[in-house]
Amino acid sequence: MPKRVGLEYINNPQFTNIDAMENLIEQLVTVTINGKEIKAPPSLSTIQALWYAGYPRVQSVGCLEGVCGSCRILVRRAESTEVTMALGCQTLLEEGMEVNFLVFPTPTHHTYNLEEIPNSWEVQTEFHRIFPEAVNCRSCNGCNKSCPKDIQVKEGVALASKGKFQEAGELFVECVMCNFCMTACPEYISPNHVGLFSRRVTAYFHTRPSNLINRLEVMRKGELKIEIDQD
Amino acid sequence: MSITYQEALNNYQPLERREPAVETLSTEELLQQYHPDHYKDAATTLQVGPNRGDQCHHQLADMLQADARIDEADLAGARTRQTDVLVIGGGGAGCAAALVAAKAGARVTLATKLRLGDSNTVMAEGGIQASVEKDDTPQAHYQDTLKAGHFHADKELVASMASDAPEVIRWLIQQGMQFDLDKFGDIMLRRAGGTTADRIAYYRDYTGLEMMRVLRESVKNSNIEVLDYSPAVELMSNQSGRCAGAVISNLKECTFELIKANAVIIATGGIGRMHLNDFPTSNHFGATGDGLVLAYRLGAKMLDLDSFQYHPTGLAHPHHLAGSLITEGIRSAGTYLLNSEGNRFVDELKTRDHVSSAILKECTEGRGIQVGDQATGVWLDTPGLELRNPGLIAQKFPKLVQLGKKCDIDLTTTPLLVYPTLHYQNGGVQIDKNGLSTVPGLYCVGEVSGGIHGRNRIMGNALLDIICFGRRAGAHAAECNRRPGHKKISIEHLSSLRRNLTMAKMPMEQKGPMLFPECAKFEDDSDYDGLHKNRNRKISTT
Repeated sequence: MPKRVGLEYINNPQFTNIDAMENLIEQLVTVTINGKEIKAPPSLSTIQALWYAGYPRVQSVGCLEGVCGSCRILVRRAESTEVTMALGCQTLLEEGMEVNFLVFPTPTHHTYNLEEIPNSWEVQTEFHRIFPEAVNCRSCNGCNKSCPKDIQVKEGVALASKGKFQEAGELFVECVMCNFCMTACPEYISPNHVGLFSRRVTAYFHTRPSNLINRLEVMRKGELKIEIDQD
Repeated sequence: MSITYQEALNNYQPLERREPAVETLSTEELLQQYHPDHYKDAATTLQVGPNRGDQCHHQLADMLQADARIDEADLAGARTRQTDVLVIGGGGAGCAAALVAAKAGARVTLATKLRLGDSNTVMAEGGIQASVEKDDTPQAHYQDTLKAGHFHADKELVASMASDAPEVIRWLIQQGMQFDLDKFGDIMLRRAGGTTADRIAYYRDYTGLEMMRVLRESVKNSNIEVLDYSPAVELMSNQSGRCAGAVISNLKECTFELIKANAVIIATGGIGRMHLNDFPTSNHFGATGDGLVLAYRLGAKMLDLDSFQYHPTGLAHPHHLAGSLITEGIRSAGTYLLNSEGNRFVDELKTRDHVSSAILKECTEGRGIQVGDQATGVWLDTPGLELRNPGLIAQKFPKLVQLGKKCDIDLTTTPLLVYPTLHYQNGGVQIDKNGLSTVPGLYCVGEVSGGIHGRNRIMGNALLDIICFGRRAGAHAAECNRRPGHKKISIEHLSSLRRNLTMAKMPMEQKGPMLFPECAKFEDDSDYDGLHKNRNRKISTT
């Protein structure tokens, strides 16, 4: 019987075991989250800190890896007047930090269906019909400043407005659809949805891999059927 | 005795070449001795329900045999909705099922515990399997999948999945999903551990993110009704035992709602947040196995409830990020695993159960690297990969580079400490090739289902499984359930559940499904917002 090495993880704060989390021997820092003062180890994220301090929290908790965009927070660091936007699961505690969780915003008012775009010649026209505000960008930079992934959001919107959808989409590779830029935009452009639209039309109209198409064609003819061996 | 992290780091030399491993144990011996499925007392025998007498992990057994959260009295005056197809779960499988059912003309309601897209799908990194290269075939895909699952999978399900795969990729592209393409526009492919051909299509190491944001946008731009923060707490059935809807808990309004449906598709994912055998997990906050509990209570038969996947490369250090997944793609690209002596000890591209067991063996036998008393692990030799393929890591693995930054580790010069992390539930609800369970009207797709991967899943078959069977179930549920509503709908199955639990002398304290990990303290005050309604709780620990 091997030694159960897994047990050595008992101090892992990803664990759901609060008592184990309290065993962490670390200098605690004091932070304020949604107006409540909390003392917790600095190696914890803002979400882990809430759990550590005994506050329940379900809303705004998601993947805990920074890819789902659920845990939107406003952060003000000690000795600073600047408020920045970040993802709660990716932000570790610092002494004197003030944090506020933001409710996830209502969905964008832009709707579209890729199948209603007749062909790739019409994408630009359709884009301006679906996202009429995109050309109104006043370069306030709110989107770029709010992006927790440092995406060049504003530049992406400008490229999409010019019909350069592939280039625009490339800028949004890391986008987790946290909607911070949507919240920040005074023109209601919904820049992240502009980015995603750009990416989707690129695949929908231009991804035509010959290796995949050949395989589908061969299978359409009834070849390459799987033989299930019965034993 | 294991050596310390600092000592090991000082000893570490990035080398371009290292000798292949010499393995002394067969896969079977290795698994028997080191795989967590085989830990003493890991499994227990189920006492009640359709799988009575079968082996099941004891933590999961506790949930499957738990009392229900509601009884008839909770439903008095509850709001009722009616739909054709109810999808429970908002990950990749749920979205695929909902999209296809809606397209086929069904009224579709999708209820999800958190937000749409909050799921393990969004975290998937490696890619999705499809035989599209000319020297590869669906037959080879089928055989690789069976072999990796130790010939334990349902052959018809595997054949369905392998032959659907190219069409699944096409469907995803038509939803607007991008894949990494070569200069000719062909889909690029990499190899999964334990397979015979390059068969993984991918988008950087963000395959799941790319898939999920596209599917979510697709669902939001459809006529599918989406109920977020609405976990299902019980299924309902009609007079003949057919599944006829579900009771959901509306977290925002703290109320129960009834959703009557002609068919129900469960797509709730896996169990990582149960932390089986005290392992860390790579899974999403919501991965608490709810669908298994719901389906089991209504009488759905399960498969392989004692078989789970521990992904070989979970991050082991720093400890606040422990359990985070490091994609198999990085080993597929040629990265070695090294023990504290700087030696390779396993063929890095063997199946996940084999590689994980080999890592556990190294750590158990003192060739691991120890960080305080918090963690142990082995090296993932990314600097070696950088020497062999300069620039590859930055180009192909942006998510991993981000993880490195968070750890304050430069992957091109410093190896990462890794240790197996609870990743996937191999078994689940028994289904047919349309995703239909043994209960009429009840479909189960994605990780909640069983039989597709046998006792070990290969990389890239999970993303394929969710879309393949999600689409099949969506189409079948929309097509075969057009009959008018049921006469009488109830939660009467709970009476027999409680009777059986009492007769088997099972403890009735625990209630299921679990819904949230313990840290969310959902049981204490059912809070959803955090910080507002916890007046009775201790405020701070210091």
